[in-house]
Amino acid sequence: MKKLLCILSLTALFACSSNNCPLESTVLCNYFFYDQNGVAIKYNDAITVTTLLPGNKTVYTYRKLGFQTVTYAQRDTTLLNEGFSETISTTRKDTLLVNKASDRSFIQVPMSYFNKADTLIFSYNNISGKDTIIIEHDGFAHVELPECGTHVYHHLHSIRSTDAAIDHIEIINPLVDYGGKENIKIFFNGVVE
Amino acid sequence: MEEKRTSRYFSMAWWSKTVMVVLLMVVAGNVSAQDEPVVVVNETDTIRPTKYIADLTEQPDLPFFQGFTISGDLLGPGLYLFTDYGNIEAALRLNLKGTFFPTVEVGYATCKSTDPETDIYYATSAPYFRIGLDWNILKNKLQDNRLFVGARYGFSSFKFDMSGPNMKDPIWGGSAPFNYKDASSNSGWIEFVFGAQTKIWRNFHMGWSVRYKKEMKIGQPDYAKPYYIPGYGTTTDTSCWGGTYNLIFDLNWGKKKLKRTPINAE
Repeated sequence: MKKLLCILSLTALFACSSNNCPLESTVLCNYFFYDQNGVAIKYNDAITVTTLLPGNKTVYTYRKLGFQTVTYAQRDTTLLNEGFSETISTTRKDTLLVNKASDRSFIQVPMSYFNKADTLIFSYNNISGKDTIIIEHDGFAHVELPECGTHVYHHLHSIRSTDAAIDHIEIINPLVDYGGKENIKIFFNGVVE
Repeated sequence: MEEKRTSRYFSMAWWSKTVMVVLLMVVAGNVSAQDEPVVVVNETDTIRPTKYIADLTEQPDLPFFQGFTISGDLLGPGLYLFTDYGNIEAALRLNLKGTFFPTVEVGYATCKSTDPETDIYYATSAPYFRIGLDWNILKNKLQDNRLFVGARYGFSSFKFDMSGPNMKDPIWGGSAPFNYKDASSNSGWIEFVFGAQTKIWRNFHMGWSVRYKKEMKIGQPDYAKPYYIPGYGTTTDTSCWGGTYNLIFDLNWGKKKLKRTPINAE
């Protein structure tokens, strides 16, 4: 009987593990921030990240001497009546991914499911220039459990950037999933003292 | 001559006689405390057990090989009637000294499942194998009932199909089908077994086992973890419970019968 109780107790110890659907199941690429010497930092400036989308859009630009130039996605007849000149042009579609993230040590950015490369534009509050980051990757569907649905994981192949605020950039973990691991290191210009 | 003790289990008649004798001794002792006690036992009375049961303290040395056991699982096919998966399974077991039972289990499992919420479909059909050892923890190895603890290593090499609704990119746009066929997986697991069996008729036994299963290795392609592993079950958790309900047939080839010594009352 003692043996039986020992066996049942051991069995009960093993019976508590679980692997159900994760609470955080959004697949995001994690960018962590460092100074140019590789020291982890919180970046004080507000960072806005936009990305280019496939296709073009029509842009209406209005100018008038002594007034600030404004751009709209739709025609504004009131500005025309006020004497503004109108310029109609086409440009790449874009969308906002991260809006004014400040005092952050990392940001999380979604990736396209089917494109071979994503173009990200980093804008800063205190720096006039913008940085463009281009990431080449492959997306692939992944099902952990049928009840959890389909997710798209990514393998990162390469990354490059401009140098307005960024010193250099590296891929640390090429697999992008919903595990929350650090995927990319961004080394900003300057050194933390 | 020293009388050989043959059993713990005696009949009601034997107990009645013994109790009566003891009572007589006590009463006689009280009534004639100053006289020497005299106890008369009828010489024609004999003390006999109703059933021969081997001596637990002096087990005979059993031959090493005690025969084969073959069995079939009745629970697996039953499961298929009520769930999305099921299996058929047979086992071959060696009986070594009535104590150790090296076991090989072979089965074929199938699963066809569609999740009602995500509409993801999963299907597989494949054989599986388990090897392991059971240990009969009953003291009396000669009786027909057995109580087991044991362990198994199970493995299966299988292919599965998985498909679901089209995937749509919410930001960049576009969609693509999710449909994979013949994805390969090699998976292994361990099982801890607790079970019992009892004789129902001649060499036929019925038995059950409860099994705690733990994933050891799950081979999977990038795009999916197998939802159901033949022989293991669903992979909702990294461990799971299972069980069998077996019809067992003892093949006592080569088994030597125990000599039963008659009881000679003194």
